[in-house]
Amino acid sequence: MFSTDPYFVLVTLIFAWAYSFMLKGKKSLRQNILLTLPILIIMTAVNTIFVHNGATILFYISDLRITLEALLFGLVSAMILSSVIIWFSCFSVIMTSDKLIYIFGKARPVMGLTLSMVFRFIPLLRERFNEIRLGQKAMGREEEQHFFGKVRQFVKELSILISWSLESSIETADSMEARGYGLKRRTSFHLFRLMDRDKLMMAIFIACGAVLITALIMGLTDIYYYPIIVLDKWSPLKAIAFIVYVIMLVIPVVMDLDIKKKWQLSK
Amino acid sequence: MAVIEVKNLKFIYPTQSAPAIDDISFSVEESEFIVVCGKSGCGKSTLLRHLKKNMMPYGVMEGEVLFEGTDLKILDDRESASAIGFVQQNPDNQLVTDKVWHELAFGLESLGLDNQTIKRRVAEMASYFDIQTWFRQDVASLSGGQKQLLNLASIMAMQPRVLILDEPTSQLDPIAASEFLRTVYKINRDLGVTVIISEHRLEELIPMADRIMVMDKGRIVALDSPRNIGTFLEEGNHPMFYGLPGVMKIYAKAVKKGLKPNVIDGEELAPITIREGRLWLEKILGKPSRTIPETAKDNAPKTEPEGETVIKAKDVFYRYSKDSGDVLRDLNFDMKKGELLCILGGNGSGKSTTLKAISSLIKPQRGKIEVKGRQAMLPQNPQALFTEITCEEELLEALHYTKISDKEKVDAVNDMLELMEISHLRKSHPYDLSGGEQQRLALGKILLLKPEILLLDEPTKGLDPFFKLTLAEILHKLNRDGVSILMVSHDIEFCAEFADRCAMFFDGGVISTGTPHEFFEGNSFYTTSSNRMARQWFPRAITWEEVAACLT
Repeated sequence: MFSTDPYFVLVTLIFAWAYSFMLKGKKSLRQNILLTLPILIIMTAVNTIFVHNGATILFYISDLRITLEALLFGLVSAMILSSVIIWFSCFSVIMTSDKLIYIFGKARPVMGLTLSMVFRFIPLLRERFNEIRLGQKAMGREEEQHFFGKVRQFVKELSILISWSLESSIETADSMEARGYGLKRRTSFHLFRLMDRDKLMMAIFIACGAVLITALIMGLTDIYYYPIIVLDKWSPLKAIAFIVYVIMLVIPVVMDLDIKKKWQLSK
Repeated sequence: MAVIEVKNLKFIYPTQSAPAIDDISFSVEESEFIVVCGKSGCGKSTLLRHLKKNMMPYGVMEGEVLFEGTDLKILDDRESASAIGFVQQNPDNQLVTDKVWHELAFGLESLGLDNQTIKRRVAEMASYFDIQTWFRQDVASLSGGQKQLLNLASIMAMQPRVLILDEPTSQLDPIAASEFLRTVYKINRDLGVTVIISEHRLEELIPMADRIMVMDKGRIVALDSPRNIGTFLEEGNHPMFYGLPGVMKIYAKAVKKGLKPNVIDGEELAPITIREGRLWLEKILGKPSRTIPETAKDNAPKTEPEGETVIKAKDVFYRYSKDSGDVLRDLNFDMKKGELLCILGGNGSGKSTTLKAISSLIKPQRGKIEVKGRQAMLPQNPQALFTEITCEEELLEALHYTKISDKEKVDAVNDMLELMEISHLRKSHPYDLSGGEQQRLALGKILLLKPEILLLDEPTKGLDPFFKLTLAEILHKLNRDGVSILMVSHDIEFCAEFADRCAMFFDGGVISTGTPHEFFEGNSFYTTSSNRMARQWFPRAITWEEVAACLT
């Protein structure tokens, strides 16, 4: 994200795919292709067609200059975007609601609680909405054919949902107050414990992060695309930064592989 | 010293002139188990809410409530939150967080306890209430009974000395309800927690109670031991009499009609459980004959219902998805015009699915359901229908698509308000009504669609015994007007008394049908409490009135 160095971008994308395959199995392949292929094509095409900077001219479409630099820049940015998306999809698998609540609750107990209430409300609202729909259907409503009738019916159902939920949240508020909500010095309970293993992991990631940030500040990963591509030569320092970066990407994959292997051995 | 002492309590809600609580005084001793009963709207909830500081309603209050000698108003907030626990009616609305373990910890978090202490208390509670197996689940995945148990557990985690419960089982099915009440009883016996509970379902609670409080119009009518309450209510011809368990009603009626009271060791001992009822009957009637009663045999002649068939289900099979099991399996039954057919059966046996299939909300994969006539269904939660801000507009909304003049619409609405006996509430907001009144409003709304077939899903849930009588009257009136009613219910007593026919639903199909007499005489467990008590002497008597009539 911080560098458009093609080598760094390429390994990020590769490990994003690998890790999402570890987490979600075969179905991740299909998902990722469906997600990233359009991004790759569209972003590359848009950049090449609309950006005419760059010295190496490939060919002309009527009067438009198509340059190699614009093509490559488009490709690299598309790869960055797709890896960000895939990494985030991995993030959402790993970070379940209780982990998020734990982290936010550490910062401010009320924040953790609010999140938890939101996660409670989503399925509740869905359930209620289904019941309302069924109720309306059983009343012979919902048979509206034309568009405005449908919209009107939907708005009606939504308004039932809102008044029902507001009304019942008064009871929720009562129940919270009855259990001492609003007293001073609230704490946030969690089921997590910081183990030695976690501390080790944290140390490794902080160290790796520090190396990479230094490399970034030193300009080791700088690259210029326009008018011609200028990429720093591989120096020992840059090689170190690159290796450190790969280590960071490999760790989650290796951890998962390790667990899988232990499972197989224990069978 | 009394744990709770109420002195001359009087309370008036804002904008109301009549007091909701009218000069009430009583005291509750350490570890007592008190059951509060009364018609809906008699002031039960208002009274219970006065027993906890943060739950007191807004309005004009006179008199005082003392908790262990301290005025509740000046009681420390922290003390009030943990020492007095309050469980409300609706299991869903009381849950705050998304995970079971978090819900258990909620109160303790409020008290500001550290992680280690909370962990220990939560572990204790989870083990005591046997919820380890669903400890890490989402609360959304729990059943109603589990949710209410969780609400109780999360309050008990704060180690209260007094537990107040406001109709905690009204939204639960009978099996979940009895499990819940047994847990409350266990808390009272094991831990010595004082319990004050309001309920309509007294069958199970009365044997647990030390004292029963009967309320009417904001006053205490009676506060006495369970054994004395039956005779007292019968003498005063009090409406709450109908809410008592069958055994107590039979005894009170029989004694009044001249039967000798049940005297043991020189003291009158009114039976309050089925066991005691049986012993009492054995004393006055002698040992029952050992032969199987004639009517309990399977070859008992069945009366074939007459009339035009309005619903006919033939060989219906249904499953929700390809891989799941059949929910409806070989379902066959028919319903005649103008009858009240009750389908009884356990949870998850497919009763509600049957209603959905009839109202074509789902389509069976095999078999056919023929329905003759317009139909409408009343959902379990009346709130699912309410859109307007007053009752009359609510009813008018039902006629939105009906093509009649405005004058006719207004007339229809007025008639319906009359029929449902809610004319006095016409300007009230639907959400300000009590459970029973909301049920009536929703029923009225459905009826304005002029259905010829009415489908009801658990209509007696959460209703007080008195309103059940009114509901039965309304349903019978509709029957006479030619409306056929199919009702799905857990409420055996209601069905025995008021249905034209009952059907037992089991394993996806109807396995037996018959008039209430044919139906319940053939069962030995799944029958009314009065029948269970007296079946060896009077196999044909199902309702308490019939048993009482046999005795005198």
